[in-house]
Amino acid sequence: MAEKSPVKEVAFSESIPISNSNQLKQSPQFSAKLTTPTPPISDIPSTPTSRLPPVDADVIHVPSYSRWFSWDKIDSCESRFLPEFFDGRSSKGPSLYKYYRNSIIKLFRENPSRKITFTEARRNLVGDVGSIRRVFDFLDHWGLINYSASSALSKPSKNTASNNKSSDSPSLESPSTAAPTPKQSSTSRRFCGECKSLCTIACFVCDKYDSTLCARCYVRGNFRVGLSNADFRRVEISDEAKADWSEKETLLLLEAIMHYGDDWKKVAQHVGGRTEKECVAHFVKLPFGEEYLGHPLSDDAESGFDPNKSMRLTPLADASNPIMAQSAFLSALAGVEIAEAAAQAAVNILSKIDDTTASRGGNGSLERNAKQESEISSNGDANQNALERAYADAKSQLDKEEQDIERAITEITEVQMKEIQDKILRFEEMDLLMEKERQQLESMKHLLFIDQLNLSFRKNSN
Amino acid sequence: MKSLASASWKAPLKFRMPTAENLIPIRLDIEVDGQRYKDAFTWNPYDPDSEVVMFAKRTVKDLKLSPGFLPQIVQSIQLATFRSYEGQDMYVGDKIVPIKLDLRVNHTIIRDQFLWDLNNFDSDPEEFARTLCKDLGIEDPEVGPAISLAIREQLYEIAIQNVTSARENRLNKKGRRAAEHFPISKASGAALDLMKLFSFRSSVVRKRKEWDNYKPILDLLSNEDVDALEAKEERSGL
Repeated sequence: MAEKSPVKEVAFSESIPISNSNQLKQSPQFSAKLTTPTPPISDIPSTPTSRLPPVDADVIHVPSYSRWFSWDKIDSCESRFLPEFFDGRSSKGPSLYKYYRNSIIKLFRENPSRKITFTEARRNLVGDVGSIRRVFDFLDHWGLINYSASSALSKPSKNTASNNKSSDSPSLESPSTAAPTPKQSSTSRRFCGECKSLCTIACFVCDKYDSTLCARCYVRGNFRVGLSNADFRRVEISDEAKADWSEKETLLLLEAIMHYGDDWKKVAQHVGGRTEKECVAHFVKLPFGEEYLGHPLSDDAESGFDPNKSMRLTPLADASNPIMAQSAFLSALAGVEIAEAAAQAAVNILSKIDDTTASRGGNGSLERNAKQESEISSNGDANQNALERAYADAKSQLDKEEQDIERAITEITEVQMKEIQDKILRFEEMDLLMEKERQQLESMKHLLFIDQLNLSFRKNSN
Repeated sequence: MKSLASASWKAPLKFRMPTAENLIPIRLDIEVDGQRYKDAFTWNPYDPDSEVVMFAKRTVKDLKLSPGFLPQIVQSIQLATFRSYEGQDMYVGDKIVPIKLDLRVNHTIIRDQFLWDLNNFDSDPEEFARTLCKDLGIEDPEVGPAISLAIREQLYEIAIQNVTSARENRLNKKGRRAAEHFPISKASGAALDLMKLFSFRSSVVRKRKEWDNYKPILDLLSNEDVDALEAKEERSGL
């Protein structure tokens, strides 16, 4: 259908945010057609007019993440976010959805400089207000209505949580910012990444994606795809104040790490005033240049690093395991052969050490290795784990075999029991059916009796 | 007396609107601090109750009403009555009921009468309203929702009547045989119409003199007429 005015797309610039590269990971979860909006730059200037084209009365602006929209077609993201129209149960069909969507958008585009309210939209549409509201919210979030250049910057990218088993409302989750400003973690005042309200008593921090939620948003489940309740840890605002690391403390921390390597107890002692966990957490959060200093793998001692290169290489990092992230990054920087050689050398030395301890220890070698393994893993040096892991693997495989056999046996008995249960159920059903039939017969008998009575009455009255 | 019982006794169903979607009509008329808010819409009772609050908040925000409206709106969306009926049974016989429309929406007046099959649980008042507006070329988009709402209200009333009549039957101790007669006799003029209409004596085609009754009448008012009518309604306390 011909549109009244041309539609121009406003594309946000595609720069990668400074803090975390993890937002990029969201794209594989959506369709490849860039339905994932790009996160805004964290240093957006305060005057919007200097960056975006002026609002033109004849041109409708649509954000770039909504370029899938077309009048006649229904996109897969629409069916994902509004499933009620697309499953077969209710009579609400895709054509009904299209009718709602097109009428709402038409209504908005008649006067694009003015925002339409939900009440106006639903007044004009035939249908139940709940579903109309959901369609309206969906269009609102994706910038297809009520979207103008001045409001563009206040509506950053949208990610909706698809794993919302905790929330009972079928509505869309409110949009969440993908990249909270990196400054936020350094100031003592915490703002929620979702509803932008000041966090008062407690807030919930996710270290994976470095986002902060106020208690309300956390409870309502307003977080992004891929996160669940367990990924957040509770942070009291009262001890936020002392959570900011001063320069001195950071220096102490780094010194301690250089001296003591992976013994976090000693590091914590050295820093003073910080628990082990805090030290580890802060160390992990430090920018990559510093993490260099304590790492045994790298042979090069570059003091600085090429920022462009680091940007390109950060996607390799698997952020869930910070140590692996370190080693991946460093090995990438150093080059493949060098990293290989270093790893090989480390493994060789480890095996030599192990042999000596094994010959010395005798019987208890395995246990000691296991203990070493746990020590080492708690200290977090990934390369020494390899040999110990091999030992542990063999043992675990044996155990697994045993468990498998047991499981098979239990499964067989379960199946048998289920058979018996099914049979019982079947019999019960048949019983019910028989009962129903009997009742029906009875009622028919009654009807027959009535008919007979009527007949006899008539006969007598005639 | 012919025994109609054998033909139309059906197992009782749980209470619901006899339409494809179980939506209930809601009409609001609240006055707070001198501001008057009148509205009518359909609601899906299976939405969680948090929807009521959200809807109320949005409406207050969109229409810039005073915040005193919020609790009033929440209360008025009376789902309590629906829930009280929800578990009950209702009898649905072979009922075809006449539905009458007599509405004024902004500048449009529409009057119509038609028959509606209560047994058809796939019926859809919304679709009927949409088609009617399209066929009659009604330009005002607010007429459609008003029509579907009027239909739903009447269906709702009838459904409630069915529930109460079913309840009375159960309390009635005259035994089962008598009980089966009741839904038939109580099924107002509509069911008997059905037998009369479709019996072998008359034809299915409507009689000429009834044609005018069943035609939709559409009227467009001028501004003065609208004002006059509104003033009259205010005076009569609508």
